[in-house]
Amino acid sequence: MKFFNRLFLLLMPAFTQTAANAAEPVHFARDVLPVLSANCFACHGPDEHERQGELRLDVQADAKKFRKDQAAIVPGQPDQSLIIARMTSTDPDLVMPPPKSRKKVTPEQIDAIRRWIAEGAKWERHWSFEPVVKPAGSIDAIVVNALKKRGLALRPAASPQSLARRLSLDLIGLPPTPEMADKFAESFSPETYKQYVDQLLKSPQFGEHWARMWLDLARYADTKGYEKDLGRSMWPYRDWVVEALNADMPLDQFTAEQLAGDLLPNATQQQIIATAFHRNTMANDEGGTDDEEFRVAAVKDRVDTTIQVWMGLTMGCAKCHSHKYDPISNDDYYRFYAIFNQTEDADRYDDAPRLEVLTTQQKSQREELQGRVAELEIDLAVAERKAETFGKTKWFLWTPIQVTEAKSTNGATLTPDPDQAILVSGKSEVDDVYSLTILLNAGTYTALRLEAIPAKFADGRLGVGRNPADPNFVVSEIVVEQVDADSVRALKLKNARSDFSQDGWPVAAAIDGDTKTGWAVSPRSRERHVAFFDFAEPLKLDAETKLRITLTQAYGNRLTLANFRLSTSAADPTSLILPPDSPECRALRDELAATKKSLSDINVEIAMVPVMRELPTDKKRVTKIHKRGNFLDQGDPVQVALLTGFGPAKPDESLSRLSVAKWLVNQENPLTPRVWANRIWARLFGIGIVETEEDFGALGAAPSNPELLDLLAAEYRDGGWSLKRLLKTIVLSDTYRQSSEISASLQELDPRNAISSRGGRFRLGAEVVRDQALAVAGLLSSKVGGPSVMPPQPAGLWRSTYNGKTWVDAEGEDRFRRSLYTYLKRTTPYPSLTMFDAGSGEVCQIRRIRTNTPLQALVTLNDPVYLEAAAALAKRMVNQSDDADARVTYGLRLALIRPLYQGETEPLVRLQREVKSKFAESPEQAAAIIKSCRGNPGEMNSAEFASWIVTANAILNLDEFLTRK
Amino acid sequence: MTELITPALHQIRSGTRRHFFQSSGLGLGAMALQSMLAKDGFAASNPTANPLIPKQPMIAPRAKRVIYLHMAGSPSQLELFDDKPELKKLHMQDAPASFLEGKRFAFIRGVPKILAGQFEFARHGQSGQVVSELLPNLAKVIDQVCVIRTVTTDQFNHAPSQLFTHTGSPRLGGASIGSWVTYGLGSVNQDLPGFVVLLSGGKTPDAGKSLWGSGFLPSVYQGVQCRTTGDPVLYLGDPPGMDRDLRRRMLDTLAEMNQAEFQRSGDAETITRIAQYELACRMQVSVPEVMDISQEPQHVLDLYGAKPGFVSQAESADDPRQLYKGDDPTFANNCLLARRLIENGVRYVQLYDWGWDHHGSSLGESIDETLPIKCQQTDRAIAGLITDLKQRGLLDETLIVWGGEFGRTPMMQNNVRSELKKGYIGRDHHPFAFTMWMAGGGIKGGLAYGQTDEFGYYPVENKVSIRDLQATILHVLGLDPYQFHYTYQGLDQRLVGPTEEGRVLKDILA
Repeated sequence: MKFFNRLFLLLMPAFTQTAANAAEPVHFARDVLPVLSANCFACHGPDEHERQGELRLDVQADAKKFRKDQAAIVPGQPDQSLIIARMTSTDPDLVMPPPKSRKKVTPEQIDAIRRWIAEGAKWERHWSFEPVVKPAGSIDAIVVNALKKRGLALRPAASPQSLARRLSLDLIGLPPTPEMADKFAESFSPETYKQYVDQLLKSPQFGEHWARMWLDLARYADTKGYEKDLGRSMWPYRDWVVEALNADMPLDQFTAEQLAGDLLPNATQQQIIATAFHRNTMANDEGGTDDEEFRVAAVKDRVDTTIQVWMGLTMGCAKCHSHKYDPISNDDYYRFYAIFNQTEDADRYDDAPRLEVLTTQQKSQREELQGRVAELEIDLAVAERKAETFGKTKWFLWTPIQVTEAKSTNGATLTPDPDQAILVSGKSEVDDVYSLTILLNAGTYTALRLEAIPAKFADGRLGVGRNPADPNFVVSEIVVEQVDADSVRALKLKNARSDFSQDGWPVAAAIDGDTKTGWAVSPRSRERHVAFFDFAEPLKLDAETKLRITLTQAYGNRLTLANFRLSTSAADPTSLILPPDSPECRALRDELAATKKSLSDINVEIAMVPVMRELPTDKKRVTKIHKRGNFLDQGDPVQVALLTGFGPAKPDESLSRLSVAKWLVNQENPLTPRVWANRIWARLFGIGIVETEEDFGALGAAPSNPELLDLLAAEYRDGGWSLKRLLKTIVLSDTYRQSSEISASLQELDPRNAISSRGGRFRLGAEVVRDQALAVAGLLSSKVGGPSVMPPQPAGLWRSTYNGKTWVDAEGEDRFRRSLYTYLKRTTPYPSLTMFDAGSGEVCQIRRIRTNTPLQALVTLNDPVYLEAAAALAKRMVNQSDDADARVTYGLRLALIRPLYQGETEPLVRLQREVKSKFAESPEQAAAIIKSCRGNPGEMNSAEFASWIVTANAILNLDEFLTRK
Repeated sequence: MTELITPALHQIRSGTRRHFFQSSGLGLGAMALQSMLAKDGFAASNPTANPLIPKQPMIAPRAKRVIYLHMAGSPSQLELFDDKPELKKLHMQDAPASFLEGKRFAFIRGVPKILAGQFEFARHGQSGQVVSELLPNLAKVIDQVCVIRTVTTDQFNHAPSQLFTHTGSPRLGGASIGSWVTYGLGSVNQDLPGFVVLLSGGKTPDAGKSLWGSGFLPSVYQGVQCRTTGDPVLYLGDPPGMDRDLRRRMLDTLAEMNQAEFQRSGDAETITRIAQYELACRMQVSVPEVMDISQEPQHVLDLYGAKPGFVSQAESADDPRQLYKGDDPTFANNCLLARRLIENGVRYVQLYDWGWDHHGSSLGESIDETLPIKCQQTDRAIAGLITDLKQRGLLDETLIVWGGEFGRTPMMQNNVRSELKKGYIGRDHHPFAFTMWMAGGGIKGGLAYGQTDEFGYYPVENKVSIRDLQATILHVLGLDPYQFHYTYQGLDQRLVGPTEEGRVLKDILA
């Protein structure tokens, strides 16, 4: 107790200093819990391995429990509470937090804790885990109330033209035209304002703009990541997002389709495409990598991303140990992980499972070509038969052999037909040996013929082999033996020849005694083929003789004959002629090859989207805890469960990804609506109500206006999870419409606009910066969706190891598509976008931290995209009028939308004049600049046109142009 | 209500405010602006900070800057630094089971054969360090170099291992060591990027740009790739026809109009933007100047083996391995550039040289034929860099680090052929023991640190982890590796990872 007395004296000054604030009661969740979590929970929190002194300060009962007559917190008795004693101790061995932790509690914070204890130490949960309670009042009432406390009021509304630009950039990511803005201003009324908003919300560009925010969260990219970083077709998923947003798909459905579309009853193709959300995880194709390692990494990424995106919590730490600050234990992590650990994908090279997504055009084209191939194959078979019958092949010189016994060593069924052809059916093993017994009449035999005859597969197509995927055959060896009563004598064959042999698989290889070689016929494996073999010595038989013919087909892959016939001839071998290639056959073959090529070209173009598919019940994985996050060091098996720290969630075998989706958007879940409402607010004001959009846990920032956040969260959740409705509610408020000008006093009182004391003023996002320049220049394409495109980027950037794909600058429309459609290669993202803080899609990006750097200035000054935009804008300006001032006015209005101030055009008019006279002295410079900007001066003199390009270049670099205000 | 400044909030504020009032490197235009604003009483209410201004180290520094030479693909320590006569005795015999049990290799299958070192070693310098005949120039300056033969890593594929070496995490998303250092120390010259990356060998390293990404740190700290063909910094060059005078006039008009906008809006970001355009304009001059090695006298070019203006065919080849030539000076040019950059105040220069992955499974990637070519391309340049820095008195304050992402196996790679064939002798990835070296600021020159077993398979003395190396680099620069952190996703992120396993290698410090 002596110790406490000493302490009390030391504490006195601090105590009196802050006593002035004592009028307002202390809020545990706001004033105390953040101090405890930031400074104490690492050692006295949820993580059982790090816990010191068996004390938990995150659990009320433990914090207030008496041990040896002492407790960390004694309600009403700050001087009896150990926490105060330890925090204020001057003894380095006793003071908390300990010096080596680098953490420090300020006297004000200690005072808050002291007062909270004095006021009864009422416990609350962390603010974001408490239920969302809809407060009374509107956005404006709540904001005005908060401003009033600081002696502030709402700012007056911005001008109608400014609002027209602000709304358009916020809702569709593109500027309006000055004409639209003027019309909006002329008829400005609450009603027309609402109509303008509705019109923007209905525009197809709405989805394109808001998709970008979602795709950052979804870690969308067009490649797989890591070393090879090969391409994959994710764009149908991107188009799904655009469509879902345009259709204002409610968040609960948006969630269910993306997390578990494949598990929905009668899932549609679109719902399965939606599951590509979690196939945006990276895959590693580097030689020798352990697929399981990267599969596990992808599943963990799915878990982390899900919780981060919907609940604003970080799961990452719980992979290795229980979360130090938030109620997510190590066990919780792997129970939740177990739900996601049951999908088929496994970091395979082909990204399986994938879904084929055909455009309507591809679909009809492919069907047409497939039909044509089938027709041609039949036509060709007929034509070949005709060529043989009526040509010079002297078919009458051959006699089909009647087989007395036909056997397959691997269980196939061999059935002779009336024409003596033998059809093979039934069991189809990878390889086979056909053994045929025949009786030959007395006579002389000079040659043997083998015909491979196309047979029909179940799908109606023809093939000479039995594997529908590769209907080729390989006759490894053909052996003829004479079987007498007491001996078997091999009859040698020679002079093998055929109508066609595959490269490297000549017919001679069928009689070379080596079963590793053989005769095959790819790619003409859907046509009839013929091979002749002469007997080395003419076979002279005095009586009926038994022969055995053995066809060994040892290649594998089911490349065995489907239908064949054997014949003999007695004629002079030189008179035996193979079927010729009639002109008709050749023409059909050429057309068949060309059609097949078109078909395979289409098949290459068809998007194969990686999707989620649940493993069959008998192949489910057993999930175990990964010790310290290491997948090679696994501990006890776990049962699936949702996160227990957020409500009752018993382990339940029937839990699936669909259960997760439902749980995330459950009406009781306080985090999802808050996180989402905050995210939307941040896009419109430049800063979230909770600034740390990514962290709603104990370490995140506290909400600047908790009532406002709960109002928006409740509106969103109770308004059918409609994003458009939420956006409309916000943009119709006076708070949103405020002017963004900053006075010195505002700068002092609310420097970061955290309490919405004005309209937001911040630099546009990367994509909007580029799209706006293209739009103002009149270059922007309005084409929606489809494969990603490659607008110009500096040469030589794509240098990835072992990746043959190259960047080819697009020409025509694709050069000027919205930035959403720019091909995103994870290891080399589009440079001008990343310089404006766009991500690489490697991991989930909750928000982009805005930067303001010299490299950005270089982009808008010199990137060919902006140079071409400058030339196009120059053209629009000079086409508008013959008067310099009118041209500048037009250019400025296109860019800034608002009416101009007195004398505002003057600096640009002056610049243009000076630059023109300089170019007049140096026409080659003017020509060079026009050329590099792909400008078209038309009738205009080069010096003048080039000066307008420079002027337009300046306009496209104005701070106001790059800023949303 | 007093606002609670949580660590996350504090960080955001210091990291995202990019105003340049206090910058020492401001041009005249911005200085004038600054005084204009001061008159308005504006600057006083805007405490602002340039994120790249030089910052005080946390502890006494031994070096001020870093040149890191990464040989992407991973050179063979058994041909360059770690002489193992025992391998000669067992040459082409089956590898003992102890080499293989429980191990996973990238390409080796079944039982591979032991492969003798393919080149000769000798002792050099007063320190008597053992160096391969492939590195005759490095051998001459070996007394400046501390060779560590016992580095281990826990990754055995290129991309994850490169990421682990450079960002402290084998997965994407971490911050590069160059970003960490620039975040911790700022940069001296505001007209140049603080963290510069130079590439050679014809390809980007396997893990790509993420190796010099800022990860969770603000993007101003990411490495800026300076290129030797095209614009040295992307979009740096004005379009043809736009000369300096025109650009100046255009920027003056822009500044005038932006100032008017600032008068109306009062937003300090506008002032920052004006300053950034001025900085961009200065970079347009300063970067090409510092990148122009043709300004160097002939004897300096010769020291490195540099050739100004050389454009390697490997740069545009589909497969540069086919084109490796010993006299390709791209890497030498980059070494000389590195010196010019650090001389001009750049904090961290990272070189990546591709082409060191000598599996022997295809032409142009063998120990016997390709490795000598790669050594020829780099040996003189590296020795030249050490010599040049020494002569200029810069070596004491500059830390040089050399190494790959792992080492190579004592066994011959056998997945394609198991017999010795010229041009096809190779070794697989070996994470258990490999060689890196450090030289310069704060490092004990001439020291041979750590010993491997008779096969060069495992360390037997002074094992060094990647975390140890990272801790040591930070320590040398005056950044306490354990205290130096950035809070992200609820964790105090550190380059050396969440545990205390990384230790400063006190033994190698001068």
